[in-house]
Amino acid sequence: MTDYGHDLRFGAFITPTSQPANHAVDMAIAAEQAGLDLATFQDHPYQQSFLDTSTLLAFVASRTRRIHLAANVASLPLRPPLELARAAATLDVLSKGRFALGIGAGAFWDGIARMGGRTLTPGQGVDALREAIGLIRDSWANMDEPLTRDGAYYPVMNGQRGPRPAHPIPVWVGAYKPRMLTLTGALADGWLPTIEYVDGGRAGIAAGNARIDDSALRAGRSPRDVRRLMNFMRVGMSPAGRGLLQGTAREWTDQLTELALADGISAFIIGGDDPVLLQRFGQDVAPAVREAIERERLVPRHPTSSVPS
Amino acid sequence: MELGILLEAGRRHPDDLMELALEADRRGVGVAVVRRSARHEDAGEPWSPWTIAAWIAARTERLRVGIVPAAAPGAAFGASTPAFAVTELRSVTTKAEQSLESLAPGRVLSSATAWVVAPPRPDAAGLRALAVRGIPILPVENAADLDRAVALAEQLRDVPSPPAPRSAESLAARVPGIDYDAVPASLAPTAVEPGDDAYASVSSTYLRGGAPGLVLRPQTVAEVVDAVAFAREHTGVALGIRSAGHGISGRSTNRGGLIIDVGGLDAIQIIDRRTRRVRLGPGATWQRVAQTLSPHGWALGSGDYGGVGVGGLATAGGIGLLSRKHGLTIDRLRAVELVLADGTPVRATETENSDLFWAVRGAGANFGIATAFEFEASEVGEVGWAQLSLVTDDLEASLRRFGQIAADAPRDTTVFLVTGRPREADQFVISLYGVVDDPDPDVVVDRLMPFTELGMLVRQHVVMTPYAGVMGNAAEVGPEGQHGFGEPVSRSAFLPSLTGEFARDAAELLRSGLVYFFELRTMGGAIADVSPHETAFSHRSPAFQVAAMSSSDDRLSARWRELGHHFDGLYLSFETDRSPERLDEAFPPPVLDRLRSLKRRYDPTNLFRDNFNIAPAAEDAPSVAADVASGSAA
Ligand SMILES: Cc1cc2nc3c(=O)[nH]c(=O)nc-3n(C[C@H](O)[C@H](O)[C@H](O)COP(=O)(O)OP(=O)(O)OC[C@H]3O[C@@H](n4cnc5c(N)ncnc54)[C@H](O)[C@@H]3O)c2cc1C
Repeated sequence: MTDYGHDLRFGAFITPTSQPANHAVDMAIAAEQAGLDLATFQDHPYQQSFLDTSTLLAFVASRTRRIHLAANVASLPLRPPLELARAAATLDVLSKGRFALGIGAGAFWDGIARMGGRTLTPGQGVDALREAIGLIRDSWANMDEPLTRDGAYYPVMNGQRGPRPAHPIPVWVGAYKPRMLTLTGALADGWLPTIEYVDGGRAGIAAGNARIDDSALRAGRSPRDVRRLMNFMRVGMSPAGRGLLQGTAREWTDQLTELALADGISAFIIGGDDPVLLQRFGQDVAPAVREAIERERLVPRHPTSSVPS
Repeated sequence: MELGILLEAGRRHPDDLMELALEADRRGVGVAVVRRSARHEDAGEPWSPWTIAAWIAARTERLRVGIVPAAAPGAAFGASTPAFAVTELRSVTTKAEQSLESLAPGRVLSSATAWVVAPPRPDAAGLRALAVRGIPILPVENAADLDRAVALAEQLRDVPSPPAPRSAESLAARVPGIDYDAVPASLAPTAVEPGDDAYASVSSTYLRGGAPGLVLRPQTVAEVVDAVAFAREHTGVALGIRSAGHGISGRSTNRGGLIIDVGGLDAIQIIDRRTRRVRLGPGATWQRVAQTLSPHGWALGSGDYGGVGVGGLATAGGIGLLSRKHGLTIDRLRAVELVLADGTPVRATETENSDLFWAVRGAGANFGIATAFEFEASEVGEVGWAQLSLVTDDLEASLRRFGQIAADAPRDTTVFLVTGRPREADQFVISLYGVVDDPDPDVVVDRLMPFTELGMLVRQHVVMTPYAGVMGNAAEVGPEGQHGFGEPVSRSAFLPSLTGEFARDAAELLRSGLVYFFELRTMGGAIADVSPHETAFSHRSPAFQVAAMSSSDDRLSARWRELGHHFDGLYLSFETDRSPERLDEAFPPPVLDRLRSLKRRYDPTNLFRDNFNIAPAAEDAPSVAADVASGSAA
């Protein structure tokens, strides 16, 4: 039972489909108009019906004013880390600090291989990701020193750093399995899974949190350093509630409040690609959840379980 | 003539570059190219030029934005860095370029496009001289530079652009093995090669990515003859024939080879109202064909997707939503005109070149380039068009029931089934879509009722519509062309009947998650009325045609082999495996023998080989086709 005390974010998980080409841009604009905080896009470069997510992010950032943006999550095996760092920082500067770096170790290895990416075992994927995050963060700092790292996956000799982002870009990791969760706790600024893929679904969140908390503490960090985000793919509003995020706005509000208070989730990102749903999420659900959480935080339900910070 | 600006992503803040680009757009400069600064003193701030270019494209309305080639390996890093870590993947960069092009249509200058960086402080005369090598772009760092660029652009506005010979960059993009200078004069104006603006729009097809060395786009039969002559001189490179680019088996794009794209031959004409005779160019899409025939109360059964082309489908079969009532598409064919490998244009019908007419209907891609088809349309009024989605927890039972209901339905009813990966452990979404060729809504509902019991009905959409409404589902391919990527992996088979064992094995395959697209196309009815000897498509009796797509070729092949005992033959249009055994499955022995000997006669050097290639029979092989050879004019 944990509330990590983060401010709340509400966002959209948008399919970067190329049919029609402006779908994803329109959805992001709809999300902004709905008052949401975050527009995110999957990154599957081998998926032929999708647009390139990096291009889409830059394009959408240019067409929006307020909403924050992230890949959900960038496929590291197809995105060389220094290019990713450069694009992220450039976008962060252009968008005045609206970018977050969602990143993952890679999935769908057949597709990755088809694009010319190298195939790694799951274990190697985790190691490569750990190395890449270090390299990316390094390239955003200490501008005057040359960048040299003799990593196993991304060795660099006298590399170029920079540019410096406009704000500390948070690094959010898509993680499910123990080793990835450990990495997330030790290194990341956020955990970004999709509830439909979490082992055990809703009930599995606590186990993930525990592993992240544990790993964070062992790395000398606070569990609070890791924001817990969550994607919800199967969502809909209906008068007859049929499950998580499948009922009325009222039911959504109660469910998300509960997820925030009991599971520490502080960012809720919904799929569905439905502008009307985004509108209702932003107008009817988000303010109500915010209000409920504010009330609860004044009177903590479990004062003894608060986390050291 | 056109002038552009060059913005260098170096130490300058990207906001400044953005401002300069916006200002340039406002003041009528047509082009902005962003590239990473090559200057040493800029080394500290390697902004991402790609991100800046995409940002600018999103903010501007007219400006054409230049795409910077991928960073040269090692450019930003020490030389000892292994290549993998430093290079952007070319495939990802290409995809990015295509994505920007679809977000800002017509405004992306591809990296292969010729532009020339002007020297510092150029004058109008210098720029005119430079323009023969491409669009001159002027390095711009501040407002004063921009003013100068705008003034020069105004001075040169009315000067006609000199015909730009290909830039060194685009000449460098040419592939070895193709004699570009020998492109026939009739084809040169419409031909596209890697350095050209239009290249990105012709290199890929609907499902496949490619990078051909040259795309020839003949607009007349005479030009097709010229293109075939050119192809005969280039047997060292791949040759793809393209009509509308929806091929799954056929390689209508390739890497480094030649493409003859007859998409421009797309006329649809009604030639005899009384006999419902219509003449179609290979480049017409079935969606347009349906729209043209609709006002007459006619239709031609095609596949299930309006974007598919006449050329590829009418040379292979055409198992569609009217097939159980009106037969395969090739069954309505009355005449076909082709350009043979030796360049001879021929016409083939039941009586004229009848052996060729037989071969084209099922194996056409091997025998020539079809330039026109004549069909006898069917009278088809309003039909019931149904799209149903069902969720099932027992896929095996649902497949089994579907097998009975679909195959036993009256022949006015053709229903296809699509499913894919499970939603949850054992839950599948089944999509059924089909046509009931009867204008009476009560009959339509009657026919469809049994199908609604295959699972929990979660969506139903049933309308009365002309056949054109059924085919009107495809986005027309615009000037950007198609953006397929990679290589599709698909297996195809005919299923004599849908047995319980097949349902069990298929359900198991689907539960494995390996297959993301699985389709059962219902056959029978009028398809089976035609004798197997009448066309090269000879699998007339199966109850279903099955197709499965996966991202893993090897794993799918292995699983498909295990299902093999359920199958009898395969429909080539959905098969991407090129092993020789597949050919034996597509064409039973006597058919294949006959095709081989006809191939020897019509295409002895095996020029046409991009689709289920039938190697010509050896010279002394007995000619099975001798009995019909006498009618040949070839
Ligand atoms: C979304 C989709 C749905 C489909 N549905 C069906 C269906 O319901 N039923 C069905 O039967 N098929 C179906 N198909 C398969 C389709 O019929 C074949 O892939 C067909 O080859 C596509 O024709 P095209 O002209 O669009 O393709 P292209 O890619 O232009 O051509 C494919 C191949 O056909 C040959 N070819 C093309 N033009 C000519 C010509 N003028 N002369 C000689 N040979 C030529 C070449 O070998 C070429 O490589 C479907 C395909 C797709 C992508």
